[in-house]
Amino acid sequence: MNDLQPALPVLSARDLCREFSLPGDRSLEVLRHLDLDIHEAEMVAIVGLSGVGKSTLLHCLGLLDTPSSGQITYRSGGQTWQSPGLNEPQRCGLRNQFIGFVFQFFHLLSDLDVLENVMLPAIVGTPKSDWKQRKPQIEAKARTLLETVGLAGREEQAPGTLSGGERQRVAIARALINNPRLLLCDEPTGNLDSSTSEKIHTLLRQLHEDLGTSILVVTHDPDLASRADRRLAMIDGRFEKSADHPSD
Amino acid sequence: MQYQTFLSKRYLKRRWAPWAATVAVALGVFSLISVLAVMEGFKLEMKERIRGSLSHLVVKGSAMRLLVGEDPLLQAARQTEGVEAASPFIETLAIYKSTVLDYCILRGIDPSTEPEVSDFDLYLLSDDEIEQLQADPFRMLPEDRPPPDPQRVADVFSLERRRQMLRWNLRGDAGVGFAEEAPPQGLVVGIEALRSGRLALGDIVQLSTYSPVSYEPRIGKFIVVGAFQSGVYEQDQRWAYSDIRALQQLLDLWDEEAQDMRISGISLRLADYSQASQIKDQIHQEISRRMDLDPTEEDAIPWRSLEVKTWENQRENLLQAVEIEKRIIAAMMLLIVAFAAAMIFLILMLLVIEKNRDLGVLRALGATRSGVVQLVLKQGMFLCITGAAIGLLGGWLLTENINAVHESIYRATGLRLFPPDIYYLEQIPAHLRWQDMVLVCAPTLIFGFFGSLFPALWAGRRDPIKALHHE
Ligand SMILES: Nc1ncnc2c1ncn2[C@@H]1O[C@H](COP(=O)(O)OP(=O)(O)OP(=O)(O)O)[C@@H](O)[C@H]1O
Ligand SMILES: [Mg+2]
Repeated sequence: MNDLQPALPVLSARDLCREFSLPGDRSLEVLRHLDLDIHEAEMVAIVGLSGVGKSTLLHCLGLLDTPSSGQITYRSGGQTWQSPGLNEPQRCGLRNQFIGFVFQFFHLLSDLDVLENVMLPAIVGTPKSDWKQRKPQIEAKARTLLETVGLAGREEQAPGTLSGGERQRVAIARALINNPRLLLCDEPTGNLDSSTSEKIHTLLRQLHEDLGTSILVVTHDPDLASRADRRLAMIDGRFEKSADHPSD
Repeated sequence: MQYQTFLSKRYLKRRWAPWAATVAVALGVFSLISVLAVMEGFKLEMKERIRGSLSHLVVKGSAMRLLVGEDPLLQAARQTEGVEAASPFIETLAIYKSTVLDYCILRGIDPSTEPEVSDFDLYLLSDDEIEQLQADPFRMLPEDRPPPDPQRVADVFSLERRRQMLRWNLRGDAGVGFAEEAPPQGLVVGIEALRSGRLALGDIVQLSTYSPVSYEPRIGKFIVVGAFQSGVYEQDQRWAYSDIRALQQLLDLWDEEAQDMRISGISLRLADYSQASQIKDQIHQEISRRMDLDPTEEDAIPWRSLEVKTWENQRENLLQAVEIEKRIIAAMMLLIVAFAAAMIFLILMLLVIEKNRDLGVLRALGATRSGVVQLVLKQGMFLCITGAAIGLLGGWLLTENINAVHESIYRATGLRLFPPDIYYLEQIPAHLRWQDMVLVCAPTLIFGFFGSLFPALWAGRRDPIKALHHE
């Protein structure tokens, strides 16, 4: 796409710190002056011990949590957003349009069927006045995505009746409905058996290649980590100097 | 479609518990509406009955000196714009002996003009009607009576009628001290006095009273020539009517100074009762003006202290008691609505707790805090408004069909929820005013709003990260 200039990262975090205050005037430094760049169409895996702060990082990057200090920059097309400096609607807009979340526990809404779950971010992001006009488009997109993740024909099913792997596929489709620039996945296969995990890994990689969406994935799974373009090991609240392409 | 509407629909479609709040709101609104409608109907009915035996306006003198100058007073009143008719009256208390000692409020009226100012002609019963009503103690007059005939009022006090009643009375023994040529004065009593057996048609009653002027005890014999039913129990039991001239004689109301008979006051009928307070002032002015004139002048009315009252002024205490009763009941019944709002609160709290994770997901997917607040608020208000609408509709339907409903309850259970003998009503009166609907719905919606607001704000303040942490 951008061959002439070296493209700027889709997301860059600079000097990110996150401190939790604990009872009794103590505090817990989880992220310590962390830097991170994620480039266009790049898949990055973050690995690290439990409790090291991977989820915390993802929450900060996903604008669900506010870092104690440091900047995060989001870029899409010619536009740039810098946090801090965003108001609530901007943060919500970025969460809705720029970022897609995939969680370990799928987090589908049990009152909606599969198709509605996939459409949900688009429903949230579409103003009332545009809904009538855009609904067919959104629905078609959701059906296509469900087909892509291998769940064609399951649109009307309740999420509660799906297997874990299928639920995660629905969640991935949901994360992609608004064409986000960046997919944030927190242990997407942490709750699945190895053969199901393997299929999800393949799907993620394939989507990544087909759609060109940047992916940041936190995982304990060596198989998934090995499929990333870059692997970052988190130790003590920051990234260890890492071997960039572990699979090479 | 906003996602709030979309999700609210899904949430409410798959759960029955939230609808319990709707049912509670509906029941609250329903009962409030029905009770207020019945109380309002009751009030109107009572007002109508009380009003019927009173006139729109009365001009009254003081209890001791009364008023003098019947003719110029009537003339002054009739000349005032908006006054349709005027008639003199006398009001006093009397004691009589039947089976026991009893008292009555004795009203002297002018039989020829009284029907123009009050509904006395309407309430006056025919002999057949008296018989029917005495046969059934709960019975009210049928709706389809022949229209009132003013002539009947004159007839009932007429010499002919008195003679007829006396003849009837004399059938058995002959020792009442009256000859047929000179029968006693006629007395029309309330139907309840007949029903209770204290008096009977044709009875000769000895009324003991005092002259309000000389304070001398006065005794007069009257013959019961007729009966009336006003629909106000107390009046039907205690009030008695006689000819004003006879009463003036009995009470010795001759005013030496003015060379005229005294009267208690005059009753007026207005063309439009809504003008009453204005006309009241005008009449007061006009009569005061004439009282200030030199006694030799033609229009002059001898000076006496004077007051002009609407019939509502006269019965202020009673009417106010009913109004206050209505308000107190409404206030107490609002507790039901408050309870319903508390239910909305609890149900929404449960929903927010249950859907905590969903709300976290929504935030992660880009919903704003205020969006989440709206989502909960919308559901609460939807439950509340639906409940209020159902309650309103139900209340309206009940109000429209209350007697049919009451009748079927009576037939099914044998229970009279509204015993006609106590309320003196054959039908349950109900009247739904839009003011009462607003009075019920506004607090319901306000309570519902606050009942929903707190769970909504609470939902908006929840931390999405914590919500997402666990399955
Ligand atoms: N709200 C909080 N208050 C206090 N401490 C917190 C809070 N959130 C996270 N922590 C702490 O921050 C540390 C990092 O947590 P985090 O969830 O990011 O770890 P993680 O790397 O994702 O671990 P895992 O691999 O087990 O998911 C933990 O020690 C955790 O106890
Ligand atoms: Mg984690």
